[in-house]
Amino acid sequence: MNTHEYQAKEILLRYGVPVPKFGVAGNIEEVKKILADNKWKQAVVKIQVHAGGRGKAGGVKLSKTPEEILSYSEKLLGMKLVNNQTGPEGVVAHKILLTEAVDIHKEYYLGAIIDRNKAKAVMIASPEGGMEIEEVAAKYPEKILTLPIQLSGHMRSYHLIRLANFMGWRGELAKQGMALAQGLAQAFMDCDGSLLEINPLVETDEGRLWAVDAKLSIDDNALFRQKELAALYDSTQVSKNEAQANKHSLSYVSLSGNIGCMVNGAGLAMATMDAIHYYGGQPANFLDVGGSATTDIVKEGCKIILSDKQVQAILINIFGGIMDCAVIAQGVMDAAKELAIKVPLIVRLEGTNVENGKRLLKESGLAIISADSMDDAAKKTVASIKH
Amino acid sequence: MGILIHKETKVITQGITGKAGSFHTEQGILYGSKYVGGVTPGKGGTTVFQLPVFDTVAEAKSKVDPDATLIFVPPPFAAEAILEAEEAGIALIVCITEGIPIKDMIEVSQVMRQSTTSRLIGPNCPGIITAGECKIGIMPGYIHKKGKVGVVSRSGTLTYEAVWQTTQLGLGQTTCVGIGGDPLNGTHFVDVLKLFEKDPQTEGILMIGEIGGNAEEQAAEWIATSCSKPVAAFIAGATAPAGKRMGHAGAIISGGQGTAAQKVAALKKAGVTVAATPGEMGLAMQAALGKK
Repeated sequence: MNTHEYQAKEILLRYGVPVPKFGVAGNIEEVKKILADNKWKQAVVKIQVHAGGRGKAGGVKLSKTPEEILSYSEKLLGMKLVNNQTGPEGVVAHKILLTEAVDIHKEYYLGAIIDRNKAKAVMIASPEGGMEIEEVAAKYPEKILTLPIQLSGHMRSYHLIRLANFMGWRGELAKQGMALAQGLAQAFMDCDGSLLEINPLVETDEGRLWAVDAKLSIDDNALFRQKELAALYDSTQVSKNEAQANKHSLSYVSLSGNIGCMVNGAGLAMATMDAIHYYGGQPANFLDVGGSATTDIVKEGCKIILSDKQVQAILINIFGGIMDCAVIAQGVMDAAKELAIKVPLIVRLEGTNVENGKRLLKESGLAIISADSMDDAAKKTVASIKH
Repeated sequence: MGILIHKETKVITQGITGKAGSFHTEQGILYGSKYVGGVTPGKGGTTVFQLPVFDTVAEAKSKVDPDATLIFVPPPFAAEAILEAEEAGIALIVCITEGIPIKDMIEVSQVMRQSTTSRLIGPNCPGIITAGECKIGIMPGYIHKKGKVGVVSRSGTLTYEAVWQTTQLGLGQTTCVGIGGDPLNGTHFVDVLKLFEKDPQTEGILMIGEIGGNAEEQAAEWIATSCSKPVAAFIAGATAPAGKRMGHAGAIISGGQGTAAQKVAALKKAGVTVAATPGEMGLAMQAALGKK
């Protein structure tokens, strides 16, 4: 689960990480209040959305007068960001962050992730900040340092010394940097983070370090024990269908094609998309109904697919293991009763209770094209659109 | 034969009194597997399908001496269930549970890497089956047929698909191992490949990977240098968008890493026959077997 920059900054502050003073506004009145409280002459105004590439899209503005702060705030509130990270629908900034501008002597990168191969939480550090860390890794691999974070959130003292030396921090700066890194590591572990990054971490001309931008993603699997963080879920930052699917615990991702898919199991769902593509079609979505779906959940899945106006055909591919094929069949029939399914419906059923499932669909009177195999289903679906 | 489990393997189920635990224990027994008991804290002394239920794994170990355990414990408690099984010295721990926090799995992974007694399969996996002998998991038994292909996969239902295709082609399977869709898991592709390499019944290996991480690339490296048997593969997620988690916690392309194209290229370079579409996984295996 992603969070907003201001939320990540609020958490970092609790762990003693220095963050330039900021305020968050959802409307212009709130902007005025922040200005009155802080007496800022200058400020940076930033849209709050769950996507990167804000600066490039004009979503971050340095404002040099109070008037400019107001005019930029007006412009950025409600701004829609559309880029390769947001998908064609884009995301709207319902909030903006106003923050003190700091002078930049040097930019660093400091982050924490889970390293799959090491099976450990690790800190990633680089003296090259301000650009994406993947880019740094590709261009200057020698400028990246990886250090282990203990399960408790503790950083070993000798690792912190290595960090300071690698970043080129001396004296007072090293002291600040090491404390900041320890704070970041502790925050990452305490929050069940999957990513926490400060980019850029700025050193000012006076030799002070500030977290100028921050990003925090939480491990979805840990939300059950991170109630406070789970409450930060912002449904406005995902597509309408994804938000709807999330409500019903369905795993759904919007895509740009016109073939709706409903599949059980993540691997099979991805493979079904691949098969559609292989036979010349474009999937409209990824949808995994899971192993223990009820007829109601299948029905909701159908509704979500049909609410995508691009969808011109639906492919249902089920290989029942735990999943009973009859449950899928019943769910599809229930959905068809509530909503007129006007697009071709191609169904491939295999596995547990398959005969019952097929019989139910056959007797339902629905105009269903049945398929014998995965490839057969993909071919028939693509063909159903072409004619 | 096959790997890791066979008809004499004694199995217990952790979470045997739950809905999924009891259902799949029964399915396993019907398949012919040798289930010898179960564990549910607080239910010790009762029975399920005439099998004794114990409060702890250690107790089960001392009374019925199982070789393997099947875990159906809910996510908040699953990591401890794995650690409990390791501490009791159960040789094979199969964890089906999906949704274990990754922080919990860091601790489990560290313990399993050091373990001298136990191997973990999963979590977030369908389990393991040696065709016609022993089923420890949630896969439908009837799709399997005793034969010559070893199957290893990060997926559940896509594995069934692959198994079904090899059954229909008459190839059959030795053992099918679902290693799970989480970013941190106990057994990796290379571990299973090594076991298949040594198993005399396994003539060919079918490997099913997906986007995210670099386990497939590591497997390709091992295959290139150390595998004498024909390998076929399919990688799911060629059409998945970057930066989006595709159902499995581990299935995500991040920072341009973990794409299907990178994995397919690495496998092809290692001489693996890669199926172009999921409908051709069985055919790819057949073709690879024919080549050698």
